[in-house]
Amino acid sequence: MTLSQTAPRHHVIIGTGIAGSSAAEELRDRDPDSRITIITLSRLPFYHRHLLPQVFRDVDDWRTFQAYPPAHYRDRRITLRRDTRVARVDAPNRLIHLAHKETVRYDMLVVATGGRSYLPEGLVEFFPLLHSFGSFKEALATRQALPDGGRVVMLGGDMIGLNLARTLVDTGHQVTLVSGEHTFWPHQVSEEQRPLLLAALADLGIEVIDGEKRGGIAGIELGASGLPARRVVFGDGSSQHGDVVMPFFGLVSSVDFMAGAGPDIERGLLVKTNLRTTDEHIFAAGNVCQVWTDADRCYRFYYGSRNVSNMGTLAARNMTGDSEQFEASAEDEQLILDAEGRIHSPFWE
Amino acid sequence: MSATDIQIAICGSAGDGTIAAGNILRNAVAEAGYRVISFDVYPPEIRGFGKCISRLRVTTEQVYSLKECSDVFLSLDDSHAIPHVGEVRDYGAVIFDSKPVVVNEEGAHISAHVRPGQIPYGFPFREISEIATGANRSRNIAALAVIAGLYRLPQAAFRRTIETTFGKKAKAVIAANLAAFDAGYAAGSDTFKLDDATFGSSGGKASGAGTVVILNGNAAVARGLIDAGIDTFFGYPITPATTIMERLAIEMPKRGKRLVQTEDEISAIAACVGAGYTGSRSATSTSGPGLALMMEVLGLSTIAEVPCVVVVSQRGGPSTGMPTKTEQSDLNAALYGSHGDSKRIVIAPTNVEGCYRCAGKAFEMAERYQTPVIVLLDLYLSNRYETVILAREAPFDRDCTKRWRKTDHDEVYKRFAQSKDDVSPRAIPGDAEGMHVITGLEHNELSRPNDQPEMHTEMSRKRHDKLDAALTHPDFTVSKRFGDDGRVDVGLLAWGSTFGETLEAMIKAQAEGIRCAAMKVVMLSPFPAAAVSGFMDDCRHVLVPELNYEGQFARLVQAELARPVVSLARVPGGPMRVEEILAEIRRLAGRTSVGATPATN
Repeated sequence: MTLSQTAPRHHVIIGTGIAGSSAAEELRDRDPDSRITIITLSRLPFYHRHLLPQVFRDVDDWRTFQAYPPAHYRDRRITLRRDTRVARVDAPNRLIHLAHKETVRYDMLVVATGGRSYLPEGLVEFFPLLHSFGSFKEALATRQALPDGGRVVMLGGDMIGLNLARTLVDTGHQVTLVSGEHTFWPHQVSEEQRPLLLAALADLGIEVIDGEKRGGIAGIELGASGLPARRVVFGDGSSQHGDVVMPFFGLVSSVDFMAGAGPDIERGLLVKTNLRTTDEHIFAAGNVCQVWTDADRCYRFYYGSRNVSNMGTLAARNMTGDSEQFEASAEDEQLILDAEGRIHSPFWE
Repeated sequence: MSATDIQIAICGSAGDGTIAAGNILRNAVAEAGYRVISFDVYPPEIRGFGKCISRLRVTTEQVYSLKECSDVFLSLDDSHAIPHVGEVRDYGAVIFDSKPVVVNEEGAHISAHVRPGQIPYGFPFREISEIATGANRSRNIAALAVIAGLYRLPQAAFRRTIETTFGKKAKAVIAANLAAFDAGYAAGSDTFKLDDATFGSSGGKASGAGTVVILNGNAAVARGLIDAGIDTFFGYPITPATTIMERLAIEMPKRGKRLVQTEDEISAIAACVGAGYTGSRSATSTSGPGLALMMEVLGLSTIAEVPCVVVVSQRGGPSTGMPTKTEQSDLNAALYGSHGDSKRIVIAPTNVEGCYRCAGKAFEMAERYQTPVIVLLDLYLSNRYETVILAREAPFDRDCTKRWRKTDHDEVYKRFAQSKDDVSPRAIPGDAEGMHVITGLEHNELSRPNDQPEMHTEMSRKRHDKLDAALTHPDFTVSKRFGDDGRVDVGLLAWGSTFGETLEAMIKAQAEGIRCAAMKVVMLSPFPAAAVSGFMDDCRHVLVPELNYEGQFARLVQAELARPVVSLARVPGGPMRVEEILAEIRRLAGRTSVGATPATN
């Protein structure tokens, strides 16, 4: 028996969101003797991003959002490597090259880096004038920029943004939604359903502007002296002032570091229904991957916390001997408008 | 003003500029008005090898020791820093180089060892320096500046400190370091802070009571000797006492005083005693190995009743031992070293301000009681920096000699004349008709050799009894009690540098509801038996923490008072851990854990 055969297996997970954390938990249960390492660019351990709107309820300590106390990682023997950027993955040699020139060898790898906010190309040049909301840091920065009772102009309006919009209205702020094709992302909304849903948003106190009817967003400017800090200018020449302007156009996979690594990539890492990539030692889970669906004969993304968590758990099981197939949670797909005109979405639960 | 209590540790390899960065940080925060305690640990090798750690505790209130855990940790060399990551508390910060030059094997980068509760901050120190200055030599300054920026420490205080630190170098060097500082500061201040270490307002320098200065123990000793009017100094370099001589070598010539580096410690003490005989205020400094060499001449000083001051900074022993590690294991040598019954005064300061006072007071005592005085420091105290408030007027009597003056035409000068206080009036060379001979031989009142049993007995008594007056020496704290009044569960008896940790442990124990008191014993010989015994009367248990293996002070207490004590003797090479003392207090108080109530019968 060689040394390598006696050494414990090293499971490496890149990403410390819901999928990555679920995978780590499952791996620890199923492979007690293994080494488990989570690598993440974040300085924080896994925390609940969906709770970030609470910063507007004067919750400003990130520890309120953390999923586990520090002792959890120690007790579960999960090594958490934060503030660590993956430069590239050398799949043939099962090596991860970190940006600080350290090399990490793995036996099995889970890529669970999730997604980052998508910004339409036409808005990229205005990025410095926008307030993103993908991290605790960004959430606090937004709160600091928004005066009491101030106005948020929300562009796009995906479900992450609409969840925030509800809190903003509840906390006495004004929200103007510039709707468009990304409104209600990732839910697929029919043409018939759309006006009803927008009306439901208006009932919640959210002002809705149809961005497409105004000729699209032409630009974003600083507000003039004495007026709110930002001005969104539309194609028809009209404009909307706000104290902050926030883009919510859905997510794109954070998969740049996997380019050239070996596994197939389209918009995300392509995985079979067992979540294995085209490399037998690499799995993917969560918003970073497109999963093959036999029914649709295509690869597609699955969103929602239940789907993402299930993917992490399933990847861990299949890495450790099982051969289960991913089945999406129907609940995570559904956007329901009930008889009383209220919206129900897994993103709001 | 919110209270600040932040401990920062900087760890690197010799040559990384670790200690230099620590010095700048210390001086800058002190300039900004904070109180400071700092201690550097460095290797015996000169360069290129061992580990250096600079630890700095920054506060707005008076504290007495470094903390068990650091709040902020900066790595300049991961290979040395990794074993120390665990000393950072949860939600404290670990700051490191995110773009090191070398290619690391798995686990060789510190980010692999940051614990889940700690907050990692990676910064490209080298790159910051290179972009700002064109070279990487200011990497340590860039790293230091990251801390300053991250915690919004006053930029101007750092810039002034850097200008002062590099003041004797070329302008380009100063400019480069300032540029590296500015770049690092910007990187730090642009970073979203996630750890919970926070600096409150310093409140500014409180200087009403005197001059606020930052000194380490050795610098305080040197200043005390100068302020007390040192005339001559003879010494031979030895770690950790060398910087006393270095500082005096700069300052004494400016004042028309003389310092001689002798060929060894024997010459140093011999010259010191010789100068003392002439009436010069004379001192030497050394460490344990040097003290061993001085023993014979110390005996001469005792029998000839010639004043001299010996400053001893202890290090790990025996022999060469551990030159750069602290220990309190030369107590027995200081008390009992030399042959014959050679009792002398031994005083041990417990903090940096005490180093200043003890050094100056040592001259007073040496002169007044005509005896050698040993001032006993250790490496931890010698190298520890503290914010000190010095009185504007030096609190030392410049002339304590009991001088002989001929009053009767027929009077014959008796150098060792009997007197009520057992201190004989002293003539120094040149005094009219005060001519006498001094030798190492036992003598009579006229200083003529005499080995009769009655004479030896009487002179021995004289040499011992005269020292008792030192226990009431003017304006000198021989011992002092802290903590709860009256009856206590645990009393702590401590001396030297360990008293700081002892006091911190006592305060923590009190916070846990344990009745606790502490006594610092500054004068170790003659032993303040009445004061210590009185203290022990109030204590259900007496704990004696000290940094030696044998429990030398505990044995001294038992020998002097024949009363039981609990010895906590450790030789870690560094300061005593507050937690270790606290754990023993809890045990003695019947507390099995924090917050537990005492066991009752």
